[in-house]
Amino acid sequence: MRRVPTGLILGVVLVAAAFALRAVSPAFAGWGVPDRVQDTITLALSVIIESAPFVFLGILLSTVVQVWLPHGFITRFLPRQPVLRRACISLLGMFFPVCECGNVPLARGFMVGGFTVPESITFLLAAPILNPITIITTHQAFGWGDGILITRIVAGFVIANVIGWLFSRHPDPDSLLTRTFSASCARPDAPVSNGGHDGGLHEGHTHPHGSRPGRIERSVDLFTGETAVIMPALFIGSLIAALVQVFVPRSVLLALGSNPVWSVLAMIALAFIVAVCSNVDAFFVLSFGSTFMPGGIAAFLTFGAMIDVKMLALMRTTFTTRTLVQITALVALMSAAAGLLVNYVA
Amino acid sequence: MSRKGTLAGYLAERWRGIGLSLVIVVATIWLGATGQLGLYIHPRYFIFTTVMAVVGLVFVVASFVFRTPSAGESEPSGRRSAGRRTWALGGSALLLAIATVTVLALPPATLTSATATQREVNSGGLDSEAAAEEAAALVGTGDYERLSVKEWVSLLAQSEDPALYADKTASITGFVLPDAADPDNVFYAARFVVTCCAVDAQPIGVAVYQPGWQASYDTDDWVQVTGTFVSNPSARSADTLAVLPTTIEPVDQPSDPYVY
Repeated sequence: MRRVPTGLILGVVLVAAAFALRAVSPAFAGWGVPDRVQDTITLALSVIIESAPFVFLGILLSTVVQVWLPHGFITRFLPRQPVLRRACISLLGMFFPVCECGNVPLARGFMVGGFTVPESITFLLAAPILNPITIITTHQAFGWGDGILITRIVAGFVIANVIGWLFSRHPDPDSLLTRTFSASCARPDAPVSNGGHDGGLHEGHTHPHGSRPGRIERSVDLFTGETAVIMPALFIGSLIAALVQVFVPRSVLLALGSNPVWSVLAMIALAFIVAVCSNVDAFFVLSFGSTFMPGGIAAFLTFGAMIDVKMLALMRTTFTTRTLVQITALVALMSAAAGLLVNYVA
Repeated sequence: MSRKGTLAGYLAERWRGIGLSLVIVVATIWLGATGQLGLYIHPRYFIFTTVMAVVGLVFVVASFVFRTPSAGESEPSGRRSAGRRTWALGGSALLLAIATVTVLALPPATLTSATATQREVNSGGLDSEAAAEEAAALVGTGDYERLSVKEWVSLLAQSEDPALYADKTASITGFVLPDAADPDNVFYAARFVVTCCAVDAQPIGVAVYQPGWQASYDTDDWVQVTGTFVSNPSARSADTLAVLPTTIEPVDQPSDPYVY
């Protein structure tokens, strides 16, 4: 890597230009964007502004794991027995409460740091639920009433571990990954990134003059590579979520709230399209408590924390479409089962 | 592989994330500095979001300083064709252009009635118990004109007995949202309740009975409605009670248009 003084000037100029454009934006108020288009932009932007900080935090934690901690630092504390190991991994969210968006870059970093693919999937599914912020906010919203909180915790743990176990039976787990990410992981001592892993230009792990770059350079390099993968997915995923919000009437789902089965299915569908952060989704769904049965609420809180339209876009950076379809179907089925259990038994 | 294709791939794959990050961190910091973050996210996230945007900005600038080898300085070793790389550059450039226009060039805006009509007014959004407690505390002061849309909706959800509201004057600020059941005679003075960010916004509103209101106001206009609750004269509206306004004053959109 080479220090380029003009790089700083270029960076500052671009940032200043962006601020200047923002400053003069009121002049464009008369463009007369139709309401639906304007709302689509507002909704997409709200998801991006809400999620981007968690993505940055996830990338920073991933950087710490890959660059600043010794290789295998986390895995050395985990049991070797696969089931116990995944059980422990599903609780790692207690130490990395970064919300589901940030968990994607973190899970990518874990895989580079020594996690297997099924272990990474287990972490990705469990961490949004089994973390202190989610548990506290869910308790604030529902307490222990109707078994919603306990269902969410238990279902989150069980679903993540069952799916992790299922994929551990896969004969070739690496085939669950996209080719680009798989190639990135295969490079020895390579922080995960996008820019060069499928060809062209390497990520700068080799200095032009042959020496290894320092940790700061590698951290910046990792940020650049990860944002190249995650940010387009975040923008596109948020836009899709916004389009669905604007064009699918929510009243269609709300009409189904009082039926034990339909309330569960409707809330899973709502969770998929609303794409709300797992740390606060309990407050959101609390407002539907009078409309939907508790099982529907529990299914929303279980499914939505793991899978939604925005998360699929983010996860697609790492996993194949086939894998995501399988994960989504399994999570939906098991979340529905948990919800029905609450509705009929609890 | 051609140098052109390599450069295109490098720009597409290397800098698209930095470009999009730059756009969003600048927008976030600007919104935070001008007090407009509330148009998009709940206030509980303001500090965290702003701090992480500043951290992101540092990394964005650092990405220009600690630059990896440019296209001409690195050995091309990829499998992709130059054509695919050029397409990738085109796609990345298009995404970045759209992001720049929509995030930086278009003025920030609140949600409109177009979204409200998709989400059925008063079908959710309020933790009715907590909101009712807040409303009850304000009712206890006897100063009913201080009650907001949120508190009135909570109270109405508790009881729709007209006698309870007969001697109480409401003064409510919200945007005009036609009642889908009787749009000619009834509109809602509405607000969005936000839990996390605008994507989860739920419309709530108090019905206002004012036949022919369209002659004076447009949908989405912000108004302050003052009046008393009566049994809703509209036969088609689903709301049992409605405000019979004594005055409806046009007002500016509040700096914080959502309620929490």
